[in-house]
Amino acid sequence: MKALLTFRGLFATQFKGFALALILSLVTLAAGVALLGTSGWFITAAALTTAGLAFNLFAPSALVRGFSFIRILARYGERLAGHDATLRLLADLRGWLFARLFPRLPIADRSLRHGDLVSRLTADVDALDTAFLVAIGPIAAAFVIGAALTGVLAWLLPGAAWLYGLCFAAAVLAVPAGLVLASRRAGKDVVSRAAEARASVLDGIEGHADLTVFGVLGTAQSDFATTAQRLAAARGRLSTLTAVAGFAVQALAALALAGTLWLGLDALAAGTVEGPVLAGLLLAVAGSFEATSTIVRSVGKLTTAMAAAERLTAIAEAPPAIVDPAMPAERTADATIVLADITFGYGGPPVLTNLDHIVAPGEHIAITGPSGIGKSSLLGLLLRLADPQAGRITLGGVPLPALRQADIHAGMALLSQDSPLFNDTIRANLLIARPDADDDALWTALADAGIADFVRVLPAGLDTMMGEGGRTVSVGQARRLCLARVLLSPAPILLLDEPTTGLDRPAEAAFFETLHQAAQGRTVIVVTHAAIPEGTMDRVLTLRGGMLG
Amino acid sequence: MTDTDRHNARTLSALRHNGGPWLILATGAPLLAGGLLVWQAWTLASVLGNAIEARAPVATLAPGIVLILALLLARAALAAIGDRAGTEAAEAIKLRLRTTLFSHLLAGSPRAATQPQSGAASAAIIDQVEALDGFFARYLPAMIGATVLPVAFGAIILPLDWLAGLLFLVTAPLIPVFMALAGWGAQLATERQARALSLLTSRFADRLRGIVTLKLFGRAEAETSGIVVASDELRRRTLRVLRIAFLSSAVLEFFAALGVAGIALYVGLTFIDYLHLRTTPLTLELGLFLLLMAPEVYNPLRLLAAHYHDRAAAKSAIGEIEAQLGTLSPLPSGERACPGLDPGSAAGRMRGPSPRTVSRKGPLARPKTVDLSPRGRGEARGPLGLAATSLTLRTPDSARVILANADFTIAPGEHAALLGPSGIGKSTLLEAMARLRLYEGGIMLDHRPLADWPEPDLRARTTMLGQKPRIFAGSMAHNIALARPGASPADIRRAAERAHVAAFADALPDGLDTLLGEGGLGLSGGQAQRIALARIYLRDAGLILLDEPTAHLDAELEQVVLDDLKAHASGRTLIIATHSLAVAARMDKAWRIAGETLLPTPLPTGKGRSVA
Repeated sequence: MKALLTFRGLFATQFKGFALALILSLVTLAAGVALLGTSGWFITAAALTTAGLAFNLFAPSALVRGFSFIRILARYGERLAGHDATLRLLADLRGWLFARLFPRLPIADRSLRHGDLVSRLTADVDALDTAFLVAIGPIAAAFVIGAALTGVLAWLLPGAAWLYGLCFAAAVLAVPAGLVLASRRAGKDVVSRAAEARASVLDGIEGHADLTVFGVLGTAQSDFATTAQRLAAARGRLSTLTAVAGFAVQALAALALAGTLWLGLDALAAGTVEGPVLAGLLLAVAGSFEATSTIVRSVGKLTTAMAAAERLTAIAEAPPAIVDPAMPAERTADATIVLADITFGYGGPPVLTNLDHIVAPGEHIAITGPSGIGKSSLLGLLLRLADPQAGRITLGGVPLPALRQADIHAGMALLSQDSPLFNDTIRANLLIARPDADDDALWTALADAGIADFVRVLPAGLDTMMGEGGRTVSVGQARRLCLARVLLSPAPILLLDEPTTGLDRPAEAAFFETLHQAAQGRTVIVVTHAAIPEGTMDRVLTLRGGMLG
Repeated sequence: MTDTDRHNARTLSALRHNGGPWLILATGAPLLAGGLLVWQAWTLASVLGNAIEARAPVATLAPGIVLILALLLARAALAAIGDRAGTEAAEAIKLRLRTTLFSHLLAGSPRAATQPQSGAASAAIIDQVEALDGFFARYLPAMIGATVLPVAFGAIILPLDWLAGLLFLVTAPLIPVFMALAGWGAQLATERQARALSLLTSRFADRLRGIVTLKLFGRAEAETSGIVVASDELRRRTLRVLRIAFLSSAVLEFFAALGVAGIALYVGLTFIDYLHLRTTPLTLELGLFLLLMAPEVYNPLRLLAAHYHDRAAAKSAIGEIEAQLGTLSPLPSGERACPGLDPGSAAGRMRGPSPRTVSRKGPLARPKTVDLSPRGRGEARGPLGLAATSLTLRTPDSARVILANADFTIAPGEHAALLGPSGIGKSTLLEAMARLRLYEGGIMLDHRPLADWPEPDLRARTTMLGQKPRIFAGSMAHNIALARPGASPADIRRAAERAHVAAFADALPDGLDTLLGEGGLGLSGGQAQRIALARIYLRDAGLILLDEPTAHLDAELEQVVLDDLKAHASGRTLIIATHSLAVAARMDKAWRIAGETLLPTPLPTGKGRSVA
């Protein structure tokens, strides 16, 4: 709940919209209750009347029709206002998350790369977006309607007001609170069981070859069946609690209706209430519990929203791993990179040990070595995505920590192993590297990356949409488009991590020839497994045992 | 409705059968509760009618009040039971679907091009299957209720008051028609809205996925404001659509309100003799009953409308699952099309290795338990020879030839090195020899075509350490014992010592029982490699295939690890793919892969640690 409250600022900016939606939903509910109440009173009064045609039927029938139409219009307006405010919140929330996330990149747990965090963040933001629409709004509206009807009962049928008020309060406040407390453990179980099941699937796919080789696919299957069974059982337990809570709400409604009936009949016998009024009130009481019908589900959504809020604040309020200096130095035009006595690791044994190296401006060097040896980590250090445990890196004579991160990044362009294409046009994907580039520059970059001919024959050319994750093009083509983006960047230093993945041998050789030409005058550091054609690189180094040689 | 749409709907209803009796209970309970509702409304109306019109004393009405309370409680209980049964049914269906999908995934060849990415597959099996929940737990019961209850209520009321009954009977079934009419556009609009929202969500996820790239290109501020502008633009467009989409639910509300108001006016006007449509006089009891039933006739439809999106969500989830893991349609009958390569159809051009022996028996068939202990299968022991004739290997997408028409022989008990720069195809060749991927040409293992080896025999007699062995979530000991389920702690311990795992494991407080994160989180590359190497020592294989077993080790440790490996491999055939000339120097012979061919190469003599 505390975490959810940290978002009240964002909710407050849409206060008007949410307030309007809440008021309209109250009007809807009230009109429904009033419609039933008036109708009950009207037909009872009509049945009791002996006046026949002299009975004033204009007022009640007008009321009945009026309430009907108010209900329809209010409901329509409520949904529109609620969705409008929710969609506005959605824009704010995403903007807020991006603004918080950028300075904190890269996230320390590195799961952002694997997509788990992405889907978790997306789901969490969705849960928060709809928190008002599906959770806070309905609970608030039910509460107000119950209080209002208790007031009406206190005026017209004082004997039953306390009973109704108690039952309604219990249904709207006590049952949800109890459900939240009781389901906390079951809810956590569901989350951790789901994580276990997911890990089991990942183990099965990533370890598919190992499992096959050792002939233990059957064990893996029964292990997964067990985790999936445990997930189903955990969800079952949660569902039992929800069903019990749902029963409690309905039982309280039953108690309120039967009690009001009993006390009302007493009052009728005592002559303190008129028959038509009693009939109207009873129908209103029955109608008012319509507001509680979604409460149990709303509580479930509210718990989800609270958990989502906790996870989001944990990320958004984490201290950034890398902080800009208070008094940043100016980046010089000199592109010399000096690595002095660098030691770096991820908590375990160091990946790089006492590494020294100088890269002169305009030099083209290739770094090779077995996978997982720390080549990509080295590129990360140059970009100051992490700081080495010992030693220092200078760019143009200035230590990296003295520079603003934005200035470091403006000086280097990276083609990472998992470089993404965005779900946008080819043009927009390229312009990320240099927003003011003209079409000629784009075509030059595409030609240098060896993909211009492919783009030229596309019906929409540069305006072709890429599809999510660049799914519309092959891996090799996607790779080349990412490369074109890096070549387009005005940065004097290019860092390329496995640029030729997905290219065949001739294309690979051609790429190194082109790179040699296209990046004249710029520093190039390539991490690669490829066979490097003679004369395309100034130096080829091997990273092994934490050392460059 | 498009064809895909219809196909998805069919797949969903086929899955229904796995819900069993729980699904019947989940559908039946609301229907029974609906029946009790009629009884309850009648009792309430008669208590009120008697009290108000006939001035009956409270005492005589007491049984009626108790009955109302009992009926209300019974309906509440039925609702809870139906709810719980719905979840149970949905869980049963999801469990069944998940295990089937997972088995199916494992039944495919691990290196087939059609195998999905791990992230996408786990999302499909966990998240997309979860999205089917609402369809079975809520939508299906609501749909049956909406089909049966309004008509049943109308039929009950018809003999009591023909006009009210007719009103209900005509309007209730008409509502879906009107909803469809008023919202032919509305249906389209709803879909467009769903699409717009999912577009926004996917744009958000898309940018999130590439957020580091965006930061490195200095796009932080531009993207932050960009996402807000895009969200706002989509909001404007979505709202235009919603204005129409919500009309269809307004139609529903209109009929519900019309029903209540119409009944109220009709009953009221009849009482004051303004209307004379009945032959018998209308009692207050009956009037109140009609009024109480009026909103209930429309309620099942409202409930259905509330759960309508569950159906759309489930349909799109089915589409997503099939996109990732292949078609689901024949699944309930137990046989299903496999998205992987079919061994039969590949037989013509490719000599079908059958890494999918499991799948032929159907996805749920489990391979027979194999006794993998050194003592087991004593009848078949000793080193295995290997011979390849005009062997051709391609990348999984068949785009590139890795090895063309290679011939080579490895005698039983021989130790051979496979050299060549990374990415040249050493791993592919090893995997082909382990029958993990397709190949063209012939491989004979122990004078028997590799393709003809029964899966359990092949796995019992060969073993392999891949380049990126998977470290599973669990303890170190558990990870080592993967090679021989049921291995004794002493055996595991010995294997750990020989692979030099014990050296770093003993420094940890829990030793070999230390829990490892998923994917080997918390281990260095070299440590993960050695844990995987320990698995080899639990096997009594005639052929051992190792892919860069010393890649992450320093020169000194490399030699020590090799000493142990050589000792274990004496009397067995050993093939090692490696970069390291120091490793190759200790083998009996070596090949080099270069330019799609396999060339015999002299053994490196220098003890110096240089790199191939």
